[in-house]
Amino acid sequence: MKLAVNNLIKNAKTYIPYLLTCIGAIIMFYNMRFLAVAKDIGALSDSETLRTILALAAGVIAVFSVIFLFYTNSFLIKRRKKEFGLFNVLGMEKKHVARIMVWETIITAALSLGAGLLGGILLSKLMILLLFRIIAFEVTFGFEIPVSAVVYTAALFCGIFLMIIVYDVFQVMRSKPIELLQAGSVGEKEPKANWLLAAIGAASLGSAYYIALTTESPLAALPLFFVAVILAIIGTYFLFTAGSIALLKMLRKNKTYYYQAKHFIPISGMIYRMKQHAAGLANICTLSTAVIIMLSTTISMYVGMEDLLRTRYPRNIVVTASSVSDEEARKLDAAIEKEIEAANIDPKNTIRYRSMSFVTLQDGAGFTVNRSANYLGSNVAFVTLITADDYNRMEGKSVSLAGDEALLYTVQGDIPGDTISFNGFRLSIKERLSTWGTDSKMSSIVAKSYCLVVDNTDTLWQVSNSLEPDRGDIDGLSYYYGFDVHGDKDVQVSLVGALRQAAKEVNPNSYVEGAESARDSFFSLYGGLFFIGIFLGLLFIMATVLIIYYKQIAEGYDDRARFEIMQKVGMSRDEVKQTIKSQVLSVFFLPLVMAIIHIAFAFKVITKLLEVLNLTNVRLYAGCTAATILVFAVFYVMVYALTARTYYSIVS
Amino acid sequence: MPLLKVIDLKKVYTTRFGGHPVQALANVSFTVEQGEFVAVMGESGAGKTTLLNIIAGFDKPTSGDVLLNGKSIVSIDEKEMSAFRRDNLGFVFQDFNLLDTFSIKDNILLPLVLAGQSYREMNERLMPIAKKLRITDILEKFPYEVSGGQKQRTAIARALITKPKLVLADEPTGALDSHASSDLLRLFNQINAEGQTILMVTHSVRNACHAQRVLFIKDGEVFHQLYKASLSNEEMYQKISDTLTLIATGGVRNE
Repeated sequence: MKLAVNNLIKNAKTYIPYLLTCIGAIIMFYNMRFLAVAKDIGALSDSETLRTILALAAGVIAVFSVIFLFYTNSFLIKRRKKEFGLFNVLGMEKKHVARIMVWETIITAALSLGAGLLGGILLSKLMILLLFRIIAFEVTFGFEIPVSAVVYTAALFCGIFLMIIVYDVFQVMRSKPIELLQAGSVGEKEPKANWLLAAIGAASLGSAYYIALTTESPLAALPLFFVAVILAIIGTYFLFTAGSIALLKMLRKNKTYYYQAKHFIPISGMIYRMKQHAAGLANICTLSTAVIIMLSTTISMYVGMEDLLRTRYPRNIVVTASSVSDEEARKLDAAIEKEIEAANIDPKNTIRYRSMSFVTLQDGAGFTVNRSANYLGSNVAFVTLITADDYNRMEGKSVSLAGDEALLYTVQGDIPGDTISFNGFRLSIKERLSTWGTDSKMSSIVAKSYCLVVDNTDTLWQVSNSLEPDRGDIDGLSYYYGFDVHGDKDVQVSLVGALRQAAKEVNPNSYVEGAESARDSFFSLYGGLFFIGIFLGLLFIMATVLIIYYKQIAEGYDDRARFEIMQKVGMSRDEVKQTIKSQVLSVFFLPLVMAIIHIAFAFKVITKLLEVLNLTNVRLYAGCTAATILVFAVFYVMVYALTARTYYSIVS
Repeated sequence: MPLLKVIDLKKVYTTRFGGHPVQALANVSFTVEQGEFVAVMGESGAGKTTLLNIIAGFDKPTSGDVLLNGKSIVSIDEKEMSAFRRDNLGFVFQDFNLLDTFSIKDNILLPLVLAGQSYREMNERLMPIAKKLRITDILEKFPYEVSGGQKQRTAIARALITKPKLVLADEPTGALDSHASSDLLRLFNQINAEGQTILMVTHSVRNACHAQRVLFIKDGEVFHQLYKASLSNEEMYQKISDTLTLIATGGVRNE
């Protein structure tokens, strides 16, 4: 046991970062679990959604902790194999070495669980304050330590440490003392260039990029996005492991390029370095990409919350109903106006129309309805028809149309020619409109979408009968009444309540939505996502930092002897420094550059996905992405500077 | 003018926390003529390695000077030193000091690459040397794939490829078996016969008896020197052994 403590102290340089990681992981996991069950959150209107998200995030942290702690631990074990060999030679049995290992892990576990839980509990209040601040919720006072969170955390990490003990003991038992002593000094084989894997990597990354660039329909984007992500991860991994070596070997074949002082040492060094570190670099690249995407999307959703609300609710208060007869429509109008008057507010930007909407399959200028078709395809089109009367009132115009004429407004998509056919029923396009009253985008646009103005309700019915002759369940048009109000939140919320009741009396299929009433749940959803984005972003950054740090140390020990030799053969100290710099820099920034390329290619498909989530402000997202990349890069450079210093001190 | 002139060399190591200063070299002077093969002998701790490090420019003496072709090595600063070392000195180390990331060929070419030679020039120089050292067929292999003797021959090729004025060898056979050792020393003799000046540090009598002249260092001073002249290896071996015995038993200087 005493030996175990001494060992830990002796290996502080590599061991302290490991301990800090354990503590960090525990703090994060505890806090997620804590927030998922915290009583304070119960006061939120949409607490269940938030709790679910938080619990999911805790799950992500758990999985990540397992992988990551194992990774760092195996790194530590590899470094220390020599020491174990020495113990063995000094007459210690493997049993004893194993016992030391167990003690070490127990001490680590105790230290990190103690510090982690304590830190987690201390930080939990801060976390909940932060979360409430983000989701714009009143803060309550009080402090709680949920037993379940503590138990979960302790159980998870005891489990992880137990697995680590088993792994370590297995490692020691399996090894032979001579191997233990020699581990690290055995001449390494030069890695082979695996062209097949490199080609697979390039192909899968290429197809991932192709998918990302060519996906137009946001609905189709979702499943394809995951395919692209998986392809990109595979591609990154293969390119880093096989592609890099293949490329370097190709460079080495070019004699005049290779036999130059500034290429000679880096290329040959990198071939070896890549073998050991390619997987780690691929991980860093994937993690960096994940961090940047996660942060930029959640930040832009949070920042763009007002936009989002506006897109989702084009007017502050919207009353909609389906299958409304003319009679009912008049009653609804009257009821709404009465409530507005009763609330004593002044409605603005009022839009009122009745429409008919169809989900159709578009083929050129022809539209059909097929209920059994796949509605994820790119030929799905939403068609909304309103009458000329409503259009004139809405736009303040006096357009008159013949029975076979229509005005077309294209929200997204394209209709060629001058005639539209609805399953045979033809309308000629009299004019293509460039603006549309309700808003440029009526709601979140996830597919092709067109708005048509026809002369009267009879024409509407003709279209309907032609498209869906056997649909008998509608006896009226859809109803839309939206307006903006300026008033404080309470007034708006109560008005929405009153309207809801009034509308229900007229038509049971009516819905009343208010942006203000939805704001809370929007905040708790997107705020929660934002919070988790930051949280997981931090975790991933921590992981990246640690991988990089360990990489530098490992490389430093490997390179020390190499650079000593080079100095003896006639390389000046400055040249050595220069070489180290160029080598470390390229290894270090390769993943970051690759991550940025990934993000550039993913940009389009992510904006499509954000459209599904009602965020249509591409510029905002672009800004958030750029800012996130910048912040991340600054962080990355700082880590680089810090670890490079450790590296230099090891090498020289 | 001698190729190498070592004048009143003194080196004192002081430990950092004010411990006793250790004198590695007290007062060493000797010269090496162009085309000589000189061995430096002495027991462990006699200052052999310190001497070699100073001549190589890895270390600075406390006082004294080292002249190579009349130019002082001691006064060259660190920046020029590496270029100077590259152009004038060749090294053969006990543990080969080959880079495991380079093929045998690239290891040999390393100094030329650092000096910025063209690839054609490198190849022209490489081939005759590789042939002489019998490593032509392992050029594309990597250090971990070849034997100790082959590694050391590679190191010699690396030392010779810059056509140095002086080759410094530090216990070149220390990590080799006896067969590979005598093979290597025959190579040294061959190279030396072609006009290459060699200074070798060793404590092996078998190695030293291949040299034309043997310097003995004791307690940081040149204690004695022996010329081989026309003696056979066996006779030289006997003389060296006698001298070593004398040193070991603490005898007075043998005139």
